[in-house]
Amino acid sequence: MEIGDCYIGWATDEEIRSKGASGGLVTAMLAAALEKELVEAVVVLKKLGEFEAIPIVTSDPEEVKAAAGSMHSVPIVLSRYLEYGTKVALPAKPCDARATIEQAKRQQVNLDTTYIIGLNCGGTMHPAVTRKMLETIYKLDPEEIAGEEIDKGKLIFETKDGKEHAIKIDELEEEGYGRRESCQYCAINIPRMADLACGNWGVIGDLAGKGTFVEVNTEKGIEILQNAIDSGAVEITPADEKGKAIREKVDSAMQKVAASAHAKYLAPIEGSHLDYYMNTLSDCINCGACKTVCPVCACGEAAKCTDFYSQALGYKMSLFHLVRFVHLMDSCIGCGQCTDVCPVDIPLTHLYRRFAEPLQEEFDYTPGVDMRTPPFFGVDLIED
Amino acid sequence: MDENIFTTVCPGCSMACGMYIREKEDGTIDIDWRKDAVVNAGKLCRFGVRLPHNLKPATSMVDGNEADLADAVAAAGTAIGDGAVFVSVGNTTCEEHLALMKLAESKNAVVNTGMGAFSRIPSECHPTMGVGIPFDAIESAKKIVLFIDPYEQYPLLVRRILAAKKNGAEVTAVGWKAVSLADENKVIGPDQYEAELVLDSDSVIIADLNPSSDPEQVMVLLNLAKKSGAAIIFMKPFVNAVGCDLASKHTEQKSFDQIIEEIDSGEIKTLVCLDTDLIEIMPDETAVREALKKLDNLIVITSRESTITDVANIVVATEPLYRKAGTVVNAEGRLLVGSGTGTDGIDAIGTMIGQPVDLFSELHAAVLATVGIDSVDERVIPAYEKPEYAVMEASPTAEAVETALVYAYNPFLWNGIIDDNDFVEMNLDMVLANSLLKGIPVKLTSDRGDVMVGFKVSDVAPGVVLSNAKLPVTTGMVTSVTVSR
Repeated sequence: MEIGDCYIGWATDEEIRSKGASGGLVTAMLAAALEKELVEAVVVLKKLGEFEAIPIVTSDPEEVKAAAGSMHSVPIVLSRYLEYGTKVALPAKPCDARATIEQAKRQQVNLDTTYIIGLNCGGTMHPAVTRKMLETIYKLDPEEIAGEEIDKGKLIFETKDGKEHAIKIDELEEEGYGRRESCQYCAINIPRMADLACGNWGVIGDLAGKGTFVEVNTEKGIEILQNAIDSGAVEITPADEKGKAIREKVDSAMQKVAASAHAKYLAPIEGSHLDYYMNTLSDCINCGACKTVCPVCACGEAAKCTDFYSQALGYKMSLFHLVRFVHLMDSCIGCGQCTDVCPVDIPLTHLYRRFAEPLQEEFDYTPGVDMRTPPFFGVDLIED
Repeated sequence: MDENIFTTVCPGCSMACGMYIREKEDGTIDIDWRKDAVVNAGKLCRFGVRLPHNLKPATSMVDGNEADLADAVAAAGTAIGDGAVFVSVGNTTCEEHLALMKLAESKNAVVNTGMGAFSRIPSECHPTMGVGIPFDAIESAKKIVLFIDPYEQYPLLVRRILAAKKNGAEVTAVGWKAVSLADENKVIGPDQYEAELVLDSDSVIIADLNPSSDPEQVMVLLNLAKKSGAAIIFMKPFVNAVGCDLASKHTEQKSFDQIIEEIDSGEIKTLVCLDTDLIEIMPDETAVREALKKLDNLIVITSRESTITDVANIVVATEPLYRKAGTVVNAEGRLLVGSGTGTDGIDAIGTMIGQPVDLFSELHAAVLATVGIDSVDERVIPAYEKPEYAVMEASPTAEAVETALVYAYNPFLWNGIIDDNDFVEMNLDMVLANSLLKGIPVKLTSDRGDVMVGFKVSDVAPGVVLSNAKLPVTTGMVTSVTVSR
């Protein structure tokens, strides 16, 4: 096995295969990593309901197996739950993987002991929005949902009576539902920065729906996949060229959709920029949730954004946010967590992107895709 | 890696926002966002976000010495005799409150929830004062009148009001400080409400009911709702104030002012507080401290360390709210149940009444029966009967003072926590008139003495100094002060 190889893989365990997405390869690899003591712990989402899950750090392979299956309505970034030094594996959407790498740059995560199993991602949805969408667009009771998947541009819900209900994601998003805004314009769908990049794009023929396409990106990727093969937990077969081409085509199409959403949502500000930011931030209640949840923030309690701010200040625009806008210009990955948790619904990710993108473009720097340090960390960072 | 994760609600106010608490091996906690929570979609205000910094577990104590829980329970059981007075504002579960009610009944007493307004206002109004309206209904209102500052007092209401505005609602705020989301801010008296606010059945009134609320003002608001047909919700500062009110079934109760007076006069010798800190709750902290010294027995059954645990004769330390089994009822009347299974508090109280085991099941069944449901579903608000009530005679009296120090009640203030809130607010005219300088604290002087405190220029009504934290110069809800450099 070599870096760059692509395979189709699946779990050998029937239960994992049926419960996990696309043949259960990822679940089987994570469980095998624990069983064979390749890692001490795995970070997974413990499912509490159809739209609810909580990240857990577990050393119990059974908990990993129980967490099998995709959950598009649980938009959480897992990197916050990693502990430095623990030999750990995690399933990682591109934003999970990017946040993990950004944390590694800040010595919060040791990449040498962290196995990142990347998952292709076309976007996630906020559970509250999903519930409302089910009631108003699908005309379904959210409590009747038994599963969901995204396939060929459609969001499909399965109800407990076994019926499937599919609507095009484009149509849902036209109505203000569907994926979170930041997911709509995120152009990184295949997590090539992860040790492995897994997903169902490019799985064709008899294996469609039964296998996972996996691209090997690093030595650690080889290690965790080989570990699962050696333990008998997974089987693989080389991906064929047609599958690879389809995978690229899907990625390319998704990127075009993202570019279109980007143009729509991040169109230039009309009128006074100062008014725009002051008005958008005017309802801030200084809860600090955006900082607390930010997966690339490593400042802790004594942070620049909080040191220069107090509620007793009379500024009409929060210095907390102004400092954060600048501070995150080189590290914001656009994961959407800050918007999700904002108690007054300020579209914070949108604002952070407005600051971050010009700088990241100017320096040709994309945070979280490799260990290159951000422009403000030093000099000569743009490779010739 | 070894951690316990609890699905729970924020203890900060009667919104009862859903959240997770991670309890780590070393006993420290972290919060996490429960995005599928029906009340708040996982969003939390500063109080919820800062909970790990501010939630300190209680320690059982007897006569100033650390004690085993069993010893503290035994000491409390002996100390609580006939004539004891019981208080519980709703910082714990309905079941634990009911357990205290059983203990109180065994001593021929009731549990006082501190909402003095309930005893002064006709009982047919109580259901309307207790259970409000679904928060979703705020979003579909055509007109909203705020008698609260949502940013300060109930921050998770802000998004509901903003959503209503997006849907075309007109928002008017009545209060000491201008509320930025309001289309119109008014500083008007109760006699002007009807003419100035022009409400109808598509309107929603959002007000606050707390132990210091003036019953006459509450009646004015009830009248306003009655006459206009507007819906009304009284938010409360305690997470389960509504549940405790429902459980108490509107028994005749004393206000906290009455209780403090009776302690002062020597009528009350034993006070039992269930997760209730009168020093934090009452505006005149000094007077409460002095009164509590006169008690023979101050018994505090509590899940958290606070000011009152320092002065109690006996502290019975129970598990934190997130670990407790049982229900809370939020301002909407929604029953919420966490994943906690602890019954330390109930078992402790059960021991005091000679029923140390299996009390929880009985009490939980009683809660469900009171609300009229078979099981708790957080997504369904039970149906509550709200009888018609007649318009009442009411004449609130505002104390006339030249410069009034007024509390801007917020969850930190109710819990006695300083968290970037130790400053006062006043308008620019007051700052200029007193030649105050930026960065130099202002001096506030009352009959009680003086205090230096930071200040901020805000759009506050003339003659008002608004404080976000408790100040030792305060003598009541409104304190006459002078302002100087």
